[in-house]
Amino acid sequence: MKRSMLSGQLFGLVKRWLCACFLWVSGFSLIGNALAEDPASRETFDAKVSPFLQKHCVRCHGGENPKGDLLISRLSDTIAAESDIDHWEMVLERVSSGEMPPEGEPQPSKAATDAVVEWIESGMQDYVSILDQPPTTPHARRLTNFEYQNTIRDLIGFELNLIDRLSKDPVKPYQFNNTAALMRLGPEQVNRYLECARMVMASAIVDPQKPTVHRTYREFKPHGVDKGLGLDEVGVWGNRRHSPATGIGVKEFSSTGEYRIRIKAAAILPPGVEELPLRLVMGFGINVNSATEQIEPVGTVRLRNSPDEPQVFEFRGRIENHPAKPGRVVKGKQLPASMTITPQNLYDDGTLNDGRRDLAMPRAVIEWIEMEVPVVDVWPPTHHTQILFDSSLRVSDPRAYVRQVLKRFMSRAYRRPANQAEVERFLAIHDLVAPELGSMEAAMRETLAMVLVSPQFLYHTTAADDDSLRGYEQASKLSYFLWGSMPDQELFELAADGRLGDQTVVEEQVRRMLADERASDFVDNFATQWLSLRKLKTVPVNRDLFPRFLYYVNAGERRGTEVPYRPTIRDHMHAETVGFVGELIRRNASVLNLIDSDFAYLNQPLAAHYGVDGVKGDALRPVSLTPDHRLGGLLTQGAILIGNGTGTAPHPIYRAVWLREAILGDAVPAPPAEVPALNESVGESAENALTIAELLQQHRKQESCNDCHTRLDPWGIPFEQYNAIGRFQPLVPEAGTRVSGFNRQTHHDLVGYNAYLKSIHTVSVDAKARLPGGFVVDGMRELKDYLLHDRQDEIVENVLRRLLSYAIGRELTWRDRFAVAKLLENGKQRDYKFQDLIVLICNSKTFRGE
Amino acid sequence: MSQKSWYLNRRELLRGGGIGLSLPFLNGMSFAGGSDRPLPAKRMLVSYFAYGAYMPNGSSGIPAANKPHHDWSWWPCSQPGPLTFNQSSAPFEPLKAEVTYLRGLDHKGGWSMGGHSSGDVFATGADMTEHEKTNNISVDQVAANAQGHQTRYASLTLGTEGGTGSYGSSKTLSHRGPGRPIPSLHKPQDIFNRLFNPYAGKGVEQVRAGLKREASILDLLMENSRSFKNRLGNEDQVKVDEYLDSIRVLEQRVERTSQWTHKSLPQVDTKGLNIEVSHKDPQEYIRCMYDLIFLAFQTDATRFASLMLESEQSQDSEMWNYATYVLGYKGATHDIAHKRPTDYSGKWDRWRAEQHAYFLNRLRDTPEGNGTMLDHTVVLWGSSHPHASHSTKHYPIQLAGGSGLGFKHGNLHAFEGDQKVPLANLFVSMLNAVDVPVERFADSTGNMSQLMS
Repeated sequence: MKRSMLSGQLFGLVKRWLCACFLWVSGFSLIGNALAEDPASRETFDAKVSPFLQKHCVRCHGGENPKGDLLISRLSDTIAAESDIDHWEMVLERVSSGEMPPEGEPQPSKAATDAVVEWIESGMQDYVSILDQPPTTPHARRLTNFEYQNTIRDLIGFELNLIDRLSKDPVKPYQFNNTAALMRLGPEQVNRYLECARMVMASAIVDPQKPTVHRTYREFKPHGVDKGLGLDEVGVWGNRRHSPATGIGVKEFSSTGEYRIRIKAAAILPPGVEELPLRLVMGFGINVNSATEQIEPVGTVRLRNSPDEPQVFEFRGRIENHPAKPGRVVKGKQLPASMTITPQNLYDDGTLNDGRRDLAMPRAVIEWIEMEVPVVDVWPPTHHTQILFDSSLRVSDPRAYVRQVLKRFMSRAYRRPANQAEVERFLAIHDLVAPELGSMEAAMRETLAMVLVSPQFLYHTTAADDDSLRGYEQASKLSYFLWGSMPDQELFELAADGRLGDQTVVEEQVRRMLADERASDFVDNFATQWLSLRKLKTVPVNRDLFPRFLYYVNAGERRGTEVPYRPTIRDHMHAETVGFVGELIRRNASVLNLIDSDFAYLNQPLAAHYGVDGVKGDALRPVSLTPDHRLGGLLTQGAILIGNGTGTAPHPIYRAVWLREAILGDAVPAPPAEVPALNESVGESAENALTIAELLQQHRKQESCNDCHTRLDPWGIPFEQYNAIGRFQPLVPEAGTRVSGFNRQTHHDLVGYNAYLKSIHTVSVDAKARLPGGFVVDGMRELKDYLLHDRQDEIVENVLRRLLSYAIGRELTWRDRFAVAKLLENGKQRDYKFQDLIVLICNSKTFRGE
Repeated sequence: MSQKSWYLNRRELLRGGGIGLSLPFLNGMSFAGGSDRPLPAKRMLVSYFAYGAYMPNGSSGIPAANKPHHDWSWWPCSQPGPLTFNQSSAPFEPLKAEVTYLRGLDHKGGWSMGGHSSGDVFATGADMTEHEKTNNISVDQVAANAQGHQTRYASLTLGTEGGTGSYGSSKTLSHRGPGRPIPSLHKPQDIFNRLFNPYAGKGVEQVRAGLKREASILDLLMENSRSFKNRLGNEDQVKVDEYLDSIRVLEQRVERTSQWTHKSLPQVDTKGLNIEVSHKDPQEYIRCMYDLIFLAFQTDATRFASLMLESEQSQDSEMWNYATYVLGYKGATHDIAHKRPTDYSGKWDRWRAEQHAYFLNRLRDTPEGNGTMLDHTVVLWGSSHPHASHSTKHYPIQLAGGSGLGFKHGNLHAFEGDQKVPLANLFVSMLNAVDVPVERFADSTGNMSQLMS
């Protein structure tokens, strides 16, 4: 009975293995066998498994020094304990994928392999089914810093930058920082929560009397033209003294509150250019100290109007989020803190490094800039009255009023109705602090700050002690998965009505939530971790080889370093990859688009970089591709190719590791200690350039490396067609030739530089690889085809596993195999559509914790 | 990372809004009854430098036996036994009787972490990639737990980048326990204020009243949290225990701070101390950090300190450019580790040695009891990212000071081949020397009696 119930799942799994490793022959006959005899039995072990191990495994995995630390003789002959499973699962994966026995060793027949796979598989399933407990999913998950900031935003109604004030979340490559087991807590962190909570409440609750409004105003006139630009203009390189580009000083401002910045501006646009993105930043100032990030964007406007029709634009934000420059002490007198507002011309057509100057680019004309803080149009502001609402009780029965305020605030902060006992405990805190703090506002600030350091706030999806709260638990699970924040009113209402157990309702909600703006937080956070995108920003790109890739400061103390305070091509690349994943979700397209797609997600600088025509402006959008573009999917995106290169050369091993970890879902072990790194000299000095194939050969010659690298390197070779800055580059210098270096004088402009590249890159790159299992691919196109045809299930399964792991806040184990297999099977029926997969996960027992 | 002053008037704070921190940020402090100190304090500093050291004649950090010793190797000499010094280690020559070099030591737990990431476990020896998912308690915190109650601050955690960093790129050496890194402080002015001006000009009575209220609030929070705990299943209760434990520690701190208000603050001689130094002047900055530790030791504000002189993965900070500022090297400091340019690598090591020798000299030149401060301070200096980019074995390790605590110096010791022992064995000896009677630390298999007189 048990077996027939599970056969559907078994079928899905077996099919995956067959699909991945062998030619498709007869999945059904296998199932037939499985039903006819008990494949998990001791008899089967003696008859089929043991001889297989003796024949194919023991020679390497036996004796004194078993390879890979796997000693066959230590394997049990039944699967009856957790410790057995760890070992057997490894055997299962290696044998089923065809990785073991390795090439060059006698290969077992398919039937023999199937029998082993089937025995392990059935044994595991039997074991899972006798366990009375499902895999434990953590009930209490501490908010990650990202979730903390978002939750505070939705709780108080405006965003404060809090992440940098907290201890960093633990980050492991290819893992998620919401893994509950990693989220430990210590007094230092609680102390930081305490600081943040007090800061939050100081901003959220204001004093009753209207505060003084601070105003700053500055006008600009075009007189005194400097290098062809009027002194009211901002060119792409900014920086001219006395122009708006150096910013306006703000000497008076409140420490909390909303600000309003207005600016009257227009654009001088050369023919063919339609708009100029003008960004305002405010903070310490961009020309002061390079040590740390000391500005925060105010907002961006796309100017389309000419100086004949200047327009006024308005920005709002919170003054707390902008880092101020502390006042100096002069002759014993403390000077006040100050800030600078700087307008930046962010126009970028991809040619900023070609020596073309401001005059050829669009310029912004600024007539005046004005700032006022705090905004007192409505006083007290809405975020205040949401907490300290109007009520007659306030005067008639202040204590009852405080109780109501607490009940309302706590029920949102706890993401479920707060009970009477809970409210009373905070009333006690209020009573303790109120006499000394004087005003109702001050007392509520302190009391509510304590709500924000209580565990009921810091941990979410807590186990409810009565069933009426189950719905709230589900609401939080959904909102922290898809928004990285607390539930909204609609989810709360559904929770209160007990409707979140209904699969149709959940499906509706998932689709609504994914369409909401907050879902972009989820996509960014999820994709950045899953695809290990952070590396992109830290790879040192070789400026001698790629002088035009990054935007450099061209003068002054920071000359030659990456421009720090404007979005660079690397920022666009990060946005490209995240935006691409987001677009697949938005379209509900098949997740196989991750491997190859008929569109890319680009803006003008990116399009210029990749060589795609016809994309104007800085907004990212889907752009149709033709095969000539050599783009599509994740594998050819700059974020992946640069992040997994050395900045000088493509790095086939990094890229192979990425492909196996992020796309195929394998865990690739780190290189052992004392292994020298792959020599970086490919292209580094043109004189001793070796081809990558030669280098890898050198690497593999070392016995210690060979074991892993024969399984790893081939995956990286097809990526060789794409260079260290993520561009398709099918030609490389000929092996063994001496190539003269790049000369800044001779090759000073783009034309000269391209001529230089052409002169050194003369032969086709070798991108042909024999993949583990024997399939040969030549280049990226063939690799993609192979992945799409032969590894489909593996790829989708990996996406499912990543999503599920992120959603439930723990790493998956062998116990989840069957749940994932079921999701895969159901996903297949829905053509692996991205949104549908997310819906399936949200309706799965694993996610719901049933 | 924003930094906050250590103590503000709570009344103003709560009324006026803005950032506030009412609790002392530094480690727990306990009030020692008597003020007389018959015996000199026993102290420990653990310090770390990143991106390895130059070891040109030996592929795995061990100088080849058949070649003459390289003038610019980080190791002063190649033969075990009495020390002789080369170009790189010359700043320590005048301190010959006070330093020991230890070769072949490392943490097994860091082996498979990759060179840069293994810096995480330098002071902890945690096995992060195998059995432990998170880092574990560091050697300075073991000492602080046992002996920290005798001083105003149980320990002092400094770094050059500040904060905790994250897995694989830690910005602190100190960890309270699994998954609980202690953020390092990196701004000299801030460190000075926390150490020597903790009340920010407030009267002691005012400070005490604020602390009393804080204690009451924490008490009520505890009560609230216990009710939360009861709602959870067993497997999740451990998390709430962590929370409760944290609140308890904060309560204890408030209590101890309150008690310490009965004792006058130490007078500190700030002559020559430049606490407004900029990160752009590496020598001044690093020496200022060393000076602050010196002053903290001298005034017995604390006895246990850690100092992350450089953290791995420092690309977001000025550290990244230190080799450029100091030597005019055209590239990031990190590049030295990978490219190992012959004309810069040794000079970079030498510069670092000069700074460390500056600190040791300051301790040695300050008399204390029958000897000097250095005699009562054991100083570890090293890196867990030794020589080549992947390597995580055979750390460069120097131990200095503590002659009065039983250490005997002047030699190079080699622990290679069948002599190999865990670095944690050294930690056991260091702990024993400062009166922490442990027998084990991390993966230790014993202690290092051969270093003791």
